[in-house]
Amino acid sequence: MTLYIARRLAWTLLVVGAVLLITYAVFFLLPNGDIATRFAGKAPTPQLLAEIRNRLGLDHPWYIQFALFVKHFFLGDAYGWPGLGYSYGGGVSVLSEITSRAPRTLWLITGAAILWLVSGVAIGIVSAVKRRSLTDRLAMGFALFGISAPVFWLGLMALWIFWRILGVGGGTGYTPIAQGVGSWAGHLILPWCVLALLYAAFYARMTRNNLLETLGEDYIRTARAKGLSEREVIFKHGLRASLTPIVTMFGMDIALLVGGAIITESVFNIQGLGWLAITSALNQDLPTLVGVIMLTATAVAVMNLVVDVLYAFIDPRVRYA
Amino acid sequence: MQRHLRKTILAAAVLALAASIVVAAGSASGSKTTTAKAGGTYRVGWEGSFGFTDAFDPTGEYLGNAWALYSNLLLRTLVGYNHVAGAAGNVVVPDLAASVPKPTGGGLVYTFHLKSGIKFGPPVSREITSKDVLFAMERLANAKDGGQYPFYYTVIKGWDAYAAGKAKSISGISTPSATTIVFRLTQPTGDFIYRMAMPATAPIPAEVAKCFTGGKANQYGRDVVSSGPYMIQGMDSVDMSSCASIKPASGFNPLSSLTLVRNPDYNAATDSKAARQNLPDEFDFTIDSNADDIYNKVAAGQLDDEVSSPSPKVLRKYLTTPSLKNLLKQNVGDRTWYLTLNLTQAPFDDIHVRKALNLIIDKTGLRKAWGGATAGPIATHIVPNPMLHNLLSNYDPYKTPGSAGSVTLAKAAMKGSKYSNGDGMCDAAACKNVLMIADTRAVDKGMVPIIVADAAKIGITLKVRSVTGAYGVINTPKNNIPISERPGWGKDYADASTFFDELFASSTILATGNTNYSLVGLTPAIAKKVSASGTVTGIPSVDPQINHCNKLTGNTRVSCWAALDKTIMTTVVPWVPYLSAQNLNVISTNVTKWNYDQFSDQTAYAHVAVK
Amino acid sequence: MTDGRLLDVRGLTVRFPTPDGVVQAVSDVSFTLSRGETLGVVGESGSGKSVSNLAIMGLLNAQRTVISGEVEFLGRDLLKLSPDELRKIRGKDIAMVFQDPFACLHPMYRVGKQIAEAVTAHSDASRSEAWARAVELLDHVGIPNAAERARDYPHQFSGGMRQRAMIAMALVHNPAILICDEPTTALDVTVQAQILELIEEVKREFNIGVILVTHDLGVVAETANSVMVMYAGRIMEYGPAAEIFGRPQHPYAWGLLDSMPSIERRLTTLVPIEGSPPSLLTPPSGCAFHPRCRYRFEPCATERPPLAVPAAGTHADACHLDWEAKVREGAKRSAARLGDAA
Repeated sequence: MTLYIARRLAWTLLVVGAVLLITYAVFFLLPNGDIATRFAGKAPTPQLLAEIRNRLGLDHPWYIQFALFVKHFFLGDAYGWPGLGYSYGGGVSVLSEITSRAPRTLWLITGAAILWLVSGVAIGIVSAVKRRSLTDRLAMGFALFGISAPVFWLGLMALWIFWRILGVGGGTGYTPIAQGVGSWAGHLILPWCVLALLYAAFYARMTRNNLLETLGEDYIRTARAKGLSEREVIFKHGLRASLTPIVTMFGMDIALLVGGAIITESVFNIQGLGWLAITSALNQDLPTLVGVIMLTATAVAVMNLVVDVLYAFIDPRVRYA
Repeated sequence: MQRHLRKTILAAAVLALAASIVVAAGSASGSKTTTAKAGGTYRVGWEGSFGFTDAFDPTGEYLGNAWALYSNLLLRTLVGYNHVAGAAGNVVVPDLAASVPKPTGGGLVYTFHLKSGIKFGPPVSREITSKDVLFAMERLANAKDGGQYPFYYTVIKGWDAYAAGKAKSISGISTPSATTIVFRLTQPTGDFIYRMAMPATAPIPAEVAKCFTGGKANQYGRDVVSSGPYMIQGMDSVDMSSCASIKPASGFNPLSSLTLVRNPDYNAATDSKAARQNLPDEFDFTIDSNADDIYNKVAAGQLDDEVSSPSPKVLRKYLTTPSLKNLLKQNVGDRTWYLTLNLTQAPFDDIHVRKALNLIIDKTGLRKAWGGATAGPIATHIVPNPMLHNLLSNYDPYKTPGSAGSVTLAKAAMKGSKYSNGDGMCDAAACKNVLMIADTRAVDKGMVPIIVADAAKIGITLKVRSVTGAYGVINTPKNNIPISERPGWGKDYADASTFFDELFASSTILATGNTNYSLVGLTPAIAKKVSASGTVTGIPSVDPQINHCNKLTGNTRVSCWAALDKTIMTTVVPWVPYLSAQNLNVISTNVTKWNYDQFSDQTAYAHVAVK
Repeated sequence: MTDGRLLDVRGLTVRFPTPDGVVQAVSDVSFTLSRGETLGVVGESGSGKSVSNLAIMGLLNAQRTVISGEVEFLGRDLLKLSPDELRKIRGKDIAMVFQDPFACLHPMYRVGKQIAEAVTAHSDASRSEAWARAVELLDHVGIPNAAERARDYPHQFSGGMRQRAMIAMALVHNPAILICDEPTTALDVTVQAQILELIEEVKREFNIGVILVTHDLGVVAETANSVMVMYAGRIMEYGPAAEIFGRPQHPYAWGLLDSMPSIERRLTTLVPIEGSPPSLLTPPSGCAFHPRCRYRFEPCATERPPLAVPAAGTHADACHLDWEAKVREGAKRSAARLGDAA
């Protein structure tokens, strides 16, 4: 197992490196227009543009910039370790920006994840157990709604109904937990629910389908024949077997949200990592964009590994060479 | 079993709902109370990102929104403005200097006497001297420090030599005493006074700024030392004992918020209430990525003002609700939106065609794409009226009924054209499939069909190419773009030279980043240099008039510019101007006093107050 | 009960209402089971042999099944019990062993744990006590190194060992009845014999009643005391094993016995029963077997023959043929089967 993990970690490094290389290539090879002009104001004289390019390091070809980035990443730079550079727009070192934004995104993900896991699986179980009943149909209808409704629409609707009209929740924005748990939770409750809704719907459907399939297996019949209570049959025997794909999904979903909850973060003005990613992409701020991408790619790759290892513990039939 | 399961899930749901209600109640009550400080806090929602061009470092910052903060709250320049609306807001008044000097020595020498008792804010907290102004000018001249408009100051003797590294100081600036600074120019420059009101010329303390040079210059933007009534929050905790110990001020987070609080070293006696009233105790500028949210919060009283653009829905709400009408502020900005015509490209190399186009375009229709009457008055000439002291407010050389264009008048103008066979239409092959570059904003999408239809009425068929970032295409003369609907031009300061110099002088024609899109004053030599082709001979030039007006001062100068505007509109006709943009601000009911700053075309933070 | 009778099934009928009609899975089945008796239930797929037993155990989906009749077990009618009461009997007094032990054991729990679960399902035993009992039973059913093997997962057991483990699981509470639904079908022949032997040992040791469901007549011939032949959800013939094999009375039984290839006789062709089993949605009128029966005559298509003993000293069958014809044909077949041994 340790050999397996070591091998996977090496692959992770390679994958993240490849992702970054592609990011650099895409950024520079796509027709974006002159980045220096963006920062040059109203009268971009050639001399000013040259100065800006020099300052931002744009006067090197893109692969040299990439190589410099890799070097700074491992050796650190003026702003700390790992060296992620300074944002083009100026004013912030990428590392400090990422470390200050990360907690928001992590809180957002944690709360939403707990919410969607509990509610999604619970709804899925009820649906499976009461297959084809009204409860089941309502639950799956709700799931369809949750999956189909665009997140930005859900977010805006939630804000309008709950915050504007009913006065529930703190509205948009984020207050750190140090400034008061009530305010912190109040601001996060709506984003948690909105973000969780989409995933809860997926998980409800997945749980229902997996559980239904599992409940048709012979060992369920054996469990009943043993005289186990129906609750034990469903939870101990049925759920245990049907949860393995859900564990995999859960790990991946969380990892992708690290830099990916863009819409929720924008609608609710949480200004976490997803918002940072989209803002830096729109502003053509490469260092910040690369920093966030790096974090997300690493999170995904590592989570992938974690989930695979976990799988081996959950299902004893799985063994890694 | 099933009963049991259902009960458990129901219980969990009820628990979750109860928990969320408790949490919400706690925070709902918390979010509606305002901070109880004397003078209050003026809260502004800023959309998307600050968008600073140089990270808020005054030496290189070119963003109008940033200038509003500098000029109203943070920085004092030798001379400044009163931060009011209209023509009065464009008048230069004394700020650091005791009075606005008149040039001596044949218009070449400007002597400024600084008032005493004006101090830098924390952590410097010492009296401002002439050397601090000199330091700011040298920083501006040093290209490596990121200055973005040093070209305004090349008229100062010795500037170019210093900028090129050939001299250790700028010979044309001298500081005979701590309170005197003298500028010597190479030629009479009538708008020099305006140039000394720009934020980059505000005094900078060398003891702090010396730590921010070259590639790191714009990090000074995190620690801008105040010379005005407010400072960045947290500046009093900045340790300037060494360069390494200077940390960014806590009140400025470049990606999310900027907080300004009162500067304890500000001496109101050295300032005038006409220029700055300094009523709120604090200014909060917070980024919000959701524009709708900003307007919702303003309406709910959680924000007082906004830096954004109200959507048609918001506009409608405020315009049609009587109780809200006063909360929508409309002020004419000093910016003109226009169609630009390239004098070298057929059929626009013929003045008759250009005049006909001015007469056929439905300007009211174009304005509709901008939101209708709230977008501002129809523009009928180059320079916005407030800048010309309203001398040309009734001047409309291509007047049509309702500014909707007139086929009869247009055809009449077209008659003399070499591209017409006398029927008033553009008939030649050169009139067909003429390339127009459009941008992809919502307003462009609204304007393009109108322009295409109108041009067709006089026989010109336009082939439209939509590009995001159209400026990048039209500011390269080599592309030879005949016409574009994208451009707009706003002043840097309230002298028309900021229009004519950049837009119509032959010396500003560049191969890239060119702003003289029409190529007025082009000669074959210049054309070769910038790789422009087409009709490169016989292009009208207004260089003599520009140079002449630039030497004048006072009212004669303004009249000179007005006359030049007329000349260009009738004998050069490089544009079809259509809109004099209005700036719209939505404020909350908390605001007890509000004003518009004509200089920066933003809220006059110097004259606002909250409950 | 004084005479050791455990189970008395009378008129058990199981129907599944479906959108296409009502499926008559089991129709009027009656039999008894006593201590020390092995009842072999034989029939093709779809004959209703598994469904009857599932119905007795209460393992059919109550919402989608209509069950009628009486199933008397130690004085109580199982069909009238509430689901909870039935659950208390399942796995404790009546235990069941299924066909495919690989699919019947939960792949993610250790074998010992699954057996221990059966212990705690019906008692207050602690975890360690339950585990000890599990190890004890595994040892009893012949699994070597029981204490270590109990910690294994099902996929680490061989097919035969798994079935032994299933049997161990069934024996946890010393049930009165052990129902084995095709316990050897998924195993190879040598292992088959071992398992059958194990079941037989267990029966004798604990003095329980065993219902052995199978489609393999050979299996039944080895171990059953009585045999019940089922077809299309009905009983065709029912009686002591020796009599069923020695003097079969029903044409279906004759067909079954004829179709069995014997190691003692050389065959050039197999002898199947012509035709195929009927649809349970629309079973044939009268006798369910009549469309395939060589001996059918008028009443067979219209009247359903009752399960009855045709004459003294014989066993029950459901056939309209008169007694003489049955004796004649039965004797002919026996002779053919036994006579060609030489």
